[in-house]
Amino acid sequence: MKRGGQEMSKTKSLLSLVLCLVLCVSVITGCGAGKNKQTSKDDNTKSNVEKKEDDKKGTDIDTSPITLTMFSVDVNPVETGFQSPVAKKITEATGVTIEFEYPVGDVAQKMGIMIASKEYPDMIFAKTQELTQLVQADAIVDLTSLIEQHGPNVENLYGEYLNRLRFSQEDPSIYALGASPVDEETWAPVNGFQLQHAVVKDLGFPKLETLEDYENAIREYMKKYPTIDGQPTIGLSLLADDWRWLISVGNPAGFATGAPDDGNWFINPKTYEAKYRFTREEEKEYYRWLNHMYNEGLIDPDSFVQTWDQYIAKISTGRVLAIADANWEFGSAEDALRADGKAERTYGMYPLQLTKDSKHQDFRDVGYSGGNGICITKDSPNQVRAMQFLDWMCTDEAQILNNWGIEGIHYTVEDGKRVVSDEEYKKRTTDGTNYKKETGIEVYTHPFPRWGRGKLDSTGNPYVVDSVDLIKQRYTEPEKEVLKAYGVEMWKDLYPSRDEIPKSDWGAAFLVNIPAESEIPVILERCDSIMRQSIVQSIIAKPGEFDDVWQKAMDELKSSGVEEMNKDFTNLVNKQIEFWK
Amino acid sequence: MKRSFLEKLFDSILYIIMIFVIAITIYPFINILAISFNESLDSIKGGIYLWPRKFTFENYTEIFKYANIGQALFISISRTVIGTLSGLICSCMIAYTLSRKDYFLRRPIGALLVITMYVSGGMIPEYMLIRQLNLVGKFWVYILPGLVWAFNVIVLRSFMESLPYEIQESAKIDGANDLQIFFKIVMPLCKPAIAVVALFIAVGQWNSWFDTYLYASNKANLTTLQFEMMKILSNLSASQNMAQRAAMAGMVAERNRISPESVRMAITVVATAPIIMIYPFIQKYFVSGMTIGAVKS
Repeated sequence: MKRGGQEMSKTKSLLSLVLCLVLCVSVITGCGAGKNKQTSKDDNTKSNVEKKEDDKKGTDIDTSPITLTMFSVDVNPVETGFQSPVAKKITEATGVTIEFEYPVGDVAQKMGIMIASKEYPDMIFAKTQELTQLVQADAIVDLTSLIEQHGPNVENLYGEYLNRLRFSQEDPSIYALGASPVDEETWAPVNGFQLQHAVVKDLGFPKLETLEDYENAIREYMKKYPTIDGQPTIGLSLLADDWRWLISVGNPAGFATGAPDDGNWFINPKTYEAKYRFTREEEKEYYRWLNHMYNEGLIDPDSFVQTWDQYIAKISTGRVLAIADANWEFGSAEDALRADGKAERTYGMYPLQLTKDSKHQDFRDVGYSGGNGICITKDSPNQVRAMQFLDWMCTDEAQILNNWGIEGIHYTVEDGKRVVSDEEYKKRTTDGTNYKKETGIEVYTHPFPRWGRGKLDSTGNPYVVDSVDLIKQRYTEPEKEVLKAYGVEMWKDLYPSRDEIPKSDWGAAFLVNIPAESEIPVILERCDSIMRQSIVQSIIAKPGEFDDVWQKAMDELKSSGVEEMNKDFTNLVNKQIEFWK
Repeated sequence: MKRSFLEKLFDSILYIIMIFVIAITIYPFINILAISFNESLDSIKGGIYLWPRKFTFENYTEIFKYANIGQALFISISRTVIGTLSGLICSCMIAYTLSRKDYFLRRPIGALLVITMYVSGGMIPEYMLIRQLNLVGKFWVYILPGLVWAFNVIVLRSFMESLPYEIQESAKIDGANDLQIFFKIVMPLCKPAIAVVALFIAVGQWNSWFDTYLYASNKANLTTLQFEMMKILSNLSASQNMAQRAAMAGMVAERNRISPESVRMAITVVATAPIIMIYPFIQKYFVSGMTIGAVKS
């Protein structure tokens, strides 16, 4: 009996304990929520008051000290807390100090959390994908009115391209100030067919215009030197590791047949008709040539199984005679070769074509592509200050500061010409990273609005510290020898110039805005995976089987919906062209 | 007794297999160590297996150039020690309570615990919760949310259940209350399980950087060693990207002499070295106590 009583009280006390806990928890939550509501109300009233005051001032720039927060999708490894001499000058002129935040690891996760928690910094530098997310989340403001009231220099910088910053036909707001430099000149080719300097030198600098010339040069050299440094010589090595197959195996087919770099598309410059690039007859012929090369033993048999690391390691030993790649993909291998003293085993870039009828379009003018850029968030209480800051960054004073540095310290003006001393230039180029960290030069260029390379200011001096002469200075000895033998001063002289190539009215096709609901990305992925396999199969097939393999691939593409995709994309391209007119 | 030939053969085969397994397990570590001490431009050429070709400390000096190491080390060690101790005590207490068959809420709480192992709200609800608890940007965000892991509780509970209940009963008869039984009898007997759980928690605390990233990335005084390492890595890849972008635009930018891959190896060594060094000292606890002695009931 006693025991029963004891147990009853035990249960009772436990129950009461639980009830007490529940009560306490609900009280605490209630209090907390109330507190939050109140603080946000305070913020709102504060920002309203600030805004009114700023509006009264109009375009007079407010230089009171303020810290603006900015999240940048691109990590800036040389930014050191806004303390460098250049940064201090920026603060002096605008009163602004910027606190940067970067993603560590996956950007999409960080964006997701930012949008879900609605905790935004003042400014965000985002790429097209993230911008669309932010617009959908209604997180950023339309900059049009801010630019009209506080951004005269912004208007001046972007000029006629300002309307290319608009988001879409349905929503013509300007959400982001484009991060790509305006009016940039290209002085060096990015894509082409690479051939070692040692090869052209040894063969007496043969004519290199078509892929046949290329093939002959490789064949001759391989016969002469079956081994290099004790290891077997490799002719042409391709890379098909992960996404890089598009760069080394996919793109050259277009480049060698007169197509510009439009990603997965080929757009007829006259009719604006777009089609999936691998359906072109010309590209088929390129792969037929690769098939021929493969069966002659001139292509690296490991091409389709090697990883990027293995590819780079192979190139760094100096025994790969030829590659068909973008210069940024094998750059680290060339560094290793140069460090080893094997500069003659680095590569020259040649605009080779399959037949003499087409031209290499690497220097095509794409006008200005918006897309990536800096936006200002709706919840920020400092929208006007942010726009004033961005506007100041567009002034000549700011552009020169960010590119050249501080007059008297980093450069001097002699007879009206801006000059960087040889000593200073050496510091800039040999230990660039530390130089940037210490001075702050070229740290606040990307992703802020800026002029491009080659653009001259009103005094006739370039905004960006780079010139044709400086590039020539950087050539290695073997490079200079090869260029001289071919009668040109720079690699770009081998290529058709910008004026010889039809201009693009649609920017770069891979930057065309594809709406979120579109079927295009899905079909595109299917087509890409079909072609990735089929191309490899067609290259390693026996010559007689090539046509069958290719035809099978084309049929598979058709059944995957490539024709509807072409039609859809043509519509998008047409819309873009209309929108930008 | 003379060992028969067959037995000797069997032993040698076992030895060979064991040596093979050890070699395969140790090789990656030695490889990483070798690459981390090898010159970066040389590593690009591949072919480094057991020892560096061109010995250098440059990868390590590169790390220490970047990081806020002192404070990071302090915070990492603090959270490992505090987190492990507090997590251990809490997990053990919960496990003990759940192991007692006379506890009436045993089944429901046990079930709730197991459910949390399989179901989670996701990253964003977790973030909102932490924010509402006002833990964002505070040191306790490293300790409190991850204090009790259901898995650890289950390991401890199973171990405690395997202990003969007679010991506890006899202690009760001698007049010990629950707390005394817990600290004086059950805990000492659970040393192997406690060692295992402590190791799990310690390694988890030592390795975590994502919570620093989410909740304390802007507080320099709360940064952890692993987070600093991740930042170095992303800085280096960004430098590489910058050089790539400059090259894409046709400018021959000065390139990094040090590639991210080599620094990644050095980072791996720095991050795992402390654990590797401590483990041999804890190992004896795993082995001892496994044969606790037969219970004579």
